[in-house]
Amino acid sequence: MKKSDKKKKNGILVSYLWSAPSLILISLIVIFPILYTGYISLTNMNVYHWFNYDLIGLQNYKEALLVFDSGFLSALMLTIIWTAVNMIVQLVIAYVLASLLNTKGLKLRNGYRTLLIFPWAMPGYVSILLWKTGMFNSQFGLLNQWMERLGFSPVKWLADDLSAFICCTIVNLWLALPFMITIIDGALQSVDQSFYESALLDGAGWLKRTWYITIPSIKPIIAPSVVITIFTTFKQFDVIYLMTQQAGAKTGAHIHTILTYAYENAFITNNYGYSSAVSMIIFVLLIIFSYAINIKPKEES
Amino acid sequence: MRRRKGKQNLKLLLVNLVLILVCFVTFVPILYAFSVSINEQNSLLGSDFSFIPKQVTLENYRKVFTEEPVLMWFRNSLLLAVSTVVISLGTGVPAAYIFSRRKFPGRNVILQLLILLYAFPSLLSMTALYKLLSPMGLINTKVGLIIVYTGTMAVFALWNMKGYFDTIPIEIEESAMIDGADPIRIVLKIVIPLAKPTIAVTAMMVLIYVWNEYIFAINFMTGESTYTLAAGLYSLQANETSGSWPVFSAASLLVSLPILIIFFAMQRNMASGLTSGGVKG
Amino acid sequence: MKRIIALLVSVTMLATLLCGCGTQAQSLTEEEKNTIVIWHDKEEAVSEALLGELQKLVPDVTVQLEYKSNLTEALKMVGNDPKAAPDMYFFAHDKIGVYAEMGILSPITDLIDRQTLDDAYVPMTLEAATYDGKLYQLPVYFETLLFMYNRLYMADENVPETTEQLYAYMEEKTRGGHYGFVEQHSTAYYSAGWIHGFGGYIMDGNGNVGLNMPETIAALEYHKKFVELMPGESEYATVNTLFQEGKAHATIGGPWLVSASRAAGMDLGIAAMPIVDESQIPISPYMGVQGVQVLKHAAENKTEAVKKVLNALMQPDVGITLAKVSGCAPAVEACYESEEVTADDVVMAMRETAENTIPMPNRPEMDIMWTVAADMLVNINMSGQDVVTSCEAAQKNAEELIRKMQ
Repeated sequence: MKKSDKKKKNGILVSYLWSAPSLILISLIVIFPILYTGYISLTNMNVYHWFNYDLIGLQNYKEALLVFDSGFLSALMLTIIWTAVNMIVQLVIAYVLASLLNTKGLKLRNGYRTLLIFPWAMPGYVSILLWKTGMFNSQFGLLNQWMERLGFSPVKWLADDLSAFICCTIVNLWLALPFMITIIDGALQSVDQSFYESALLDGAGWLKRTWYITIPSIKPIIAPSVVITIFTTFKQFDVIYLMTQQAGAKTGAHIHTILTYAYENAFITNNYGYSSAVSMIIFVLLIIFSYAINIKPKEES
Repeated sequence: MRRRKGKQNLKLLLVNLVLILVCFVTFVPILYAFSVSINEQNSLLGSDFSFIPKQVTLENYRKVFTEEPVLMWFRNSLLLAVSTVVISLGTGVPAAYIFSRRKFPGRNVILQLLILLYAFPSLLSMTALYKLLSPMGLINTKVGLIIVYTGTMAVFALWNMKGYFDTIPIEIEESAMIDGADPIRIVLKIVIPLAKPTIAVTAMMVLIYVWNEYIFAINFMTGESTYTLAAGLYSLQANETSGSWPVFSAASLLVSLPILIIFFAMQRNMASGLTSGGVKG
Repeated sequence: MKRIIALLVSVTMLATLLCGCGTQAQSLTEEEKNTIVIWHDKEEAVSEALLGELQKLVPDVTVQLEYKSNLTEALKMVGNDPKAAPDMYFFAHDKIGVYAEMGILSPITDLIDRQTLDDAYVPMTLEAATYDGKLYQLPVYFETLLFMYNRLYMADENVPETTEQLYAYMEEKTRGGHYGFVEQHSTAYYSAGWIHGFGGYIMDGNGNVGLNMPETIAALEYHKKFVELMPGESEYATVNTLFQEGKAHATIGGPWLVSASRAAGMDLGIAAMPIVDESQIPISPYMGVQGVQVLKHAAENKTEAVKKVLNALMQPDVGITLAKVSGCAPAVEACYESEEVTADDVVMAMRETAENTIPMPNRPEMDIMWTVAADMLVNINMSGQDVVTSCEAAQKNAEELIRKMQ
């Protein structure tokens, strides 16, 4: 009895020792900033009290709640739509492409895969800049040059909300697909081929095989990556900000996600206490949101 | 039999066509950058753009190498990337393995907490991290950046590899355990070889993240000589008063090349999946 | 046991990794005291010229010029941390309010005698660089936007003298991919000229927000018809490229556009800003003073080296050299005795225009105004929203955000 207790304790200790380096790093880089932000949100750290700030209690939160007006609500809605649209399109396209890459007898597989991954090899802001000025610019963009050649009149791609949303989605897909394709492609390769053989013998069609064999098999493997991508998409700031709202280069579209909205309504005040309070509230909202739609990865027991 | 083969060939032809088309669409912006970078005319924007420039020049590539300290940036990037990948895997593999294999108190809480914490908007982490690193004297050092990068990618590394470990059946390890092998040897000799694809993907992800990251690099490193490639590129970025688009395009493409080469080289590793009969997905 | 040792080793390694580099020098060595790091965001020609002059004038101080593309944000983060912050930075005067309130800037008068400064500089530049009664910047040169035209299309005698003439010109010439006139119509820095031309302002020197003033509203109502004859994009890349490629006949731009256009072989003309018919005031863009600010830690710990650099920057030679490469007007009065300066038509046009315009406010609140005003302009010019409603909303928003700064 005593011995097994000790062994159990030892087991726990070993488990924590093995994971300690990783957990320490995460505590420092991921958890510490959150705690620190929480602390700053209780102070009056701003331009006028940069070094000599004091604890002022929940006052910042009282102010911060005022940000959560109708503008914030519509930004929240848009963020949810943005995440849903992006994730669905991304998963479908990535799945189709990964399946095509896994077609039996495809000789150029590695070549295609390297080409498809190229966007991943470029820093994000470079890609966004390329798309914005190279593709979508209404005067010189490639799209409008093609439109003109085909006899259409030029379009202001980023000026109108809907088309700007679509353009941002395209850019985001371009940036995110290489990762998704890699993940799904890797997962597809781990699916046991013998399943398919027996299914083929049973006469199951492509759709049936996909639905009953492939998807259940790859689901646990890709789930963590998908969840992380959902959060990244939710938190996406660069694409929307750089495409439509960059200072000095606004395009007239008003697509605000909660982050760009918070940026324009809190962060620009240089009031760290106040913007920390806004960040903390957004963080809590995100947690509630992820519980509400139940995207936390499930542990199969 | 022959008909089936004919059908197979047709299918392959179609698949190839679709993939070529997709690759082309993916490549439009990149081809654009390429043709800007080899064009004599000095502009990213031009009303009479064509993919094949009228006068080809390699001048912009020469400028990248001679006028900017790219080779130093390249060395910095390489050093950071390799160290981060090594530390990420060194810390991530044991953690992921334990979280996959052992059920210990706090395990589920930690797992779920980690992914939720990942949701924190990173806009504000910068200042907090600065306040953390500065008293330790880690601002303006590579070590500081490596810690930031490893920590940032640690949640992903842990989750991603744990997910894959979960699919590797425990029986092989159990029999090795009975044979008296200690856990470190089991991980090194059995688990890692089986988990090669996920380790390769994780390493790739970390590498690419470090390679492309610029926000921490420009804020935590002061001075051009300590920049990474992405940070250097960011500072090259054309703005209203300075900068040259063609040089910038040329540099962007050059920066992507090493990643592509590494990716191509790693393909085989990522492909050597779980094909042996003993393991099911 | 073996595994525990292995783990302990790795944990210790991590710990040393974390703490190992914590060797901090308490006091500066002679070499460090003699090294001055200056952050800047200028084009290479300017920074190289500046570095060259400083190396010549203060050979015993090691000066490092470092280009920072996100200078203003980076400064907010590193603050006064001697390990990461620069000793000085070279930037426009409009941010001094923020940094002075943060407490990271040292007044220049702590290092250089006030009377010496008053004797040497164009008075307006010192005024612009004064926040809350203290001088926080040693001016180097000042700049503003200029009316430029391409002589290939617009003959000297056709240059519009009033805004109505400009509009007539635009109506006539804007067609088939060509534009009579382009500007960055929806950014606060460029639109401020029109607002000032009607007697309005974005924010005055006392921190009052003027977005819903009748004058501001009138200016934006009037400006709208010009915007309709300009491209949909408002950022610099589109506007500058159109002008440099000869697709736009005239523009309002900064001095950096002069050298770029001339290098591209354009016969460039510079003219006085058109006068607004209604108010009889010319379009009056902001004036910016570019100069050097000293951080507190450097002023305290590297006093001698900092003084040497500042004194060097006061030499007329520096002003003359930088004026030539930047096209801006030197802030040191004595520079105008040099023929190199008086013979340069861009520099002289710059001085004349700049002296009659309004300096950018340097209050911390201005940080917010750039964004709020740009949002308002985009709403009016690009999203087609009602001018009065947009101005009122922006006014309210600005006042709210300013309140939240405290």
